[in-house]
Amino acid sequence: MGIELKHVTKSFGRKKALDDISLEIEDGGFVCFLGPSDAGKSVLLRVMAGLEKVDSGKVFFDGKDVTKLSVRDRNVAMVYQDFINYPNMTVYENIASPLRVAKKYSKAEIEEKVHEVAELLNINKILRQKPDEISGGQRQRTAIARAMVKGAKYIFLDEPLANLDYKLREEFRTQLKETFSNREGAFVYATADPIDAMALSSHTGYLHGGKLLQYGDIDEVYNNPSYSMVGKYFSNPTMNLLNGKLNRGDKTIEVTRELKIDAGRFVDRLSNENYILGIRPKDIGFSDGPDKIEISGELMLSEIVGSETELHVDYNGQNIIVLEPDVIHYKYGSMLTLFLDKNKFFIFDANTKVLVAKTGGDKNGNA
Amino acid sequence: MATLEFRNISHSYEYSFGKVKEKEKAEWVINDLNVVWEDGTANALLGPSGGGKTTMLNIISGLLKPTEGQVLIDGKDVTEFSPQERKIAQVFQFPVAYDTMNVYNNLAFPLRNRGYAKNKIDSKVHKISELLNLDEYLYEPAGSLNEGEKQKVSLGRGIIRDDIVAMLLDEPLTLIDPKLKNGLRRTLMKIQRELKLTMIYVTHDQHEALTFAEYVSILNAGTIIQSGSATELYDNPKQPFVGFFVGSPGMNFIDCSLSGGNLDCKGFTLDIGSFLEENGVKEEGEVKLGIRPESLMISKKQTETSVPFNIQVIENFGHYQIITVEGMKKRLKAKISSDIGVSIGERIFLSFPKDKIILFKQDKRIL
Repeated sequence: MGIELKHVTKSFGRKKALDDISLEIEDGGFVCFLGPSDAGKSVLLRVMAGLEKVDSGKVFFDGKDVTKLSVRDRNVAMVYQDFINYPNMTVYENIASPLRVAKKYSKAEIEEKVHEVAELLNINKILRQKPDEISGGQRQRTAIARAMVKGAKYIFLDEPLANLDYKLREEFRTQLKETFSNREGAFVYATADPIDAMALSSHTGYLHGGKLLQYGDIDEVYNNPSYSMVGKYFSNPTMNLLNGKLNRGDKTIEVTRELKIDAGRFVDRLSNENYILGIRPKDIGFSDGPDKIEISGELMLSEIVGSETELHVDYNGQNIIVLEPDVIHYKYGSMLTLFLDKNKFFIFDANTKVLVAKTGGDKNGNA
Repeated sequence: MATLEFRNISHSYEYSFGKVKEKEKAEWVINDLNVVWEDGTANALLGPSGGGKTTMLNIISGLLKPTEGQVLIDGKDVTEFSPQERKIAQVFQFPVAYDTMNVYNNLAFPLRNRGYAKNKIDSKVHKISELLNLDEYLYEPAGSLNEGEKQKVSLGRGIIRDDIVAMLLDEPLTLIDPKLKNGLRRTLMKIQRELKLTMIYVTHDQHEALTFAEYVSILNAGTIIQSGSATELYDNPKQPFVGFFVGSPGMNFIDCSLSGGNLDCKGFTLDIGSFLEENGVKEEGEVKLGIRPESLMISKKQTETSVPFNIQVIENFGHYQIITVEGMKKRLKAKISSDIGVSIGERIFLSFPKDKIILFKQDKRIL
């Protein structure tokens, strides 16, 4: 049971917003669609919700073709950024309004339902307040409560956290995850933020220019990004991508003389000359070891993000990001010696951007 | 190049505008602040919206006259000086540039107004545009630039005069597209270092503040709660608010009572007597325990000193996971390695390393 899309295509003028998208979302799942702005995330959500007609392809809910059904007949709800329907009404009235409109609930029933959902979202103490008296996070939860109270099976959230500051995001993510972990139906969430996707979802899809480049279980996408774009985006901070050349003689892929990896296990599968080596910032550090590659570079910027520090190091004109698990201040311009973990490289074809091997994969370098 | 100083600055919009006639009844957004921003340093004012940050900035630049107290530049009282006389540049959220004028003329404008010679203007414009990486757009109309470049133009207009001594930035990146933020942040840091201006950066974003500034002041409800480097604020919060606001997720807090070296956390007790003695802590009674999510140690088996909790939420961020746990009417967050397999509802045991425990009494740090 769940949502299924088959070969869905949607264009606006000449621009293909969705290009032959097929996917399945199972009930009980929390799915994040990730990608840069304009990748087609919002359109995809709107197509599923019935707010946008498809040019071709089909949409099924629980096996039933709903392609032609309007949003009203789909039992869905859509939540946008910081969206409140009635700024002059109390939080309670905002949540209750879809039930009043439905005209089939008694006053007592409405009250019960509103309190139930408000408690779930931890806004039961602010029901008498007006939207402008509460925080951005609370407003966002009010909007979600409104979507949930009418019992919508599928709830679509379009970048709901985009306008919240980091403390509210943090709190809201935990809340959202807790609320939806034991619920029927599914949550479908569009975001440009990989942290949201990683923290919240069971499944994720990466959209790029209207195409769904990869879709699957969250661990699978994280461990085996099928394209360099997916690897780069689905990582926080972004995956380092370094241009390398294959040396068939000694079976290595070389970025520089010192920074090269052994491609012996999978060299037979490499038909081109140019490859992109991907390594996540967490797999670069300051401690030496048997499986490490040593390089050095100049510190250009150090950023403190949450409780971690991101260092931007200039290595031969390429920016390499390193993640350190602490709040540390480094002096700009200092030379840093870095150690890259040999077993954590992803190898992408430089032309097609497709993942061809992993240094930490099985004996053949397969994922 | 100047030291900026606040002496007993207080501000009430209500009282200053004559809306409320009695000082005691007026609402004060800033309360008796004494601050020194040293010559050539990069500073930030960090805090939630409505904490008085922008008011402080406007008092420094002279856009606002404080209800009480004095503003000093290099020891000289400038409280009665106009913004022009203070020689301070200010950059706002919205870029201030003339859209129809090209970048060159935008930058030259403040100099032409002051009657600089033509060749002097030319050399200054080139110098500043180079510093800001704006040289390639010099003859483009400002209106054709993206928001990030436009913000650089407003910055350039602010700092182009020879006599500028300080630069104030009021959430300059808030409205800038996330993809452009990084470049602009680097530009700001470069300018501060090269021109050695005293800079004050206002933001609600801890990432920006801690990355940008050497000294960060945490402002809440019109008072500076703590000032220091990012590391100091993270390692040694003097009040619970700082522990919560700096770091992600914020610090955990538990209400406890302390007597005879035993910390009674209402449900479990921690023996910290020798540690209190070592640190010369003599206070007893009601206290608040603070511990960072990354300091809690998790184990699957109970030990003498560990405490059982149930896992409510798991958020996996790829290289670590945040678990939200509950037990004995407490809700805590712990940051643990992604390699530890955990599941919702599972019972785990947390221990509280003594040297990571912080104690507050009536919101003041005692350990």
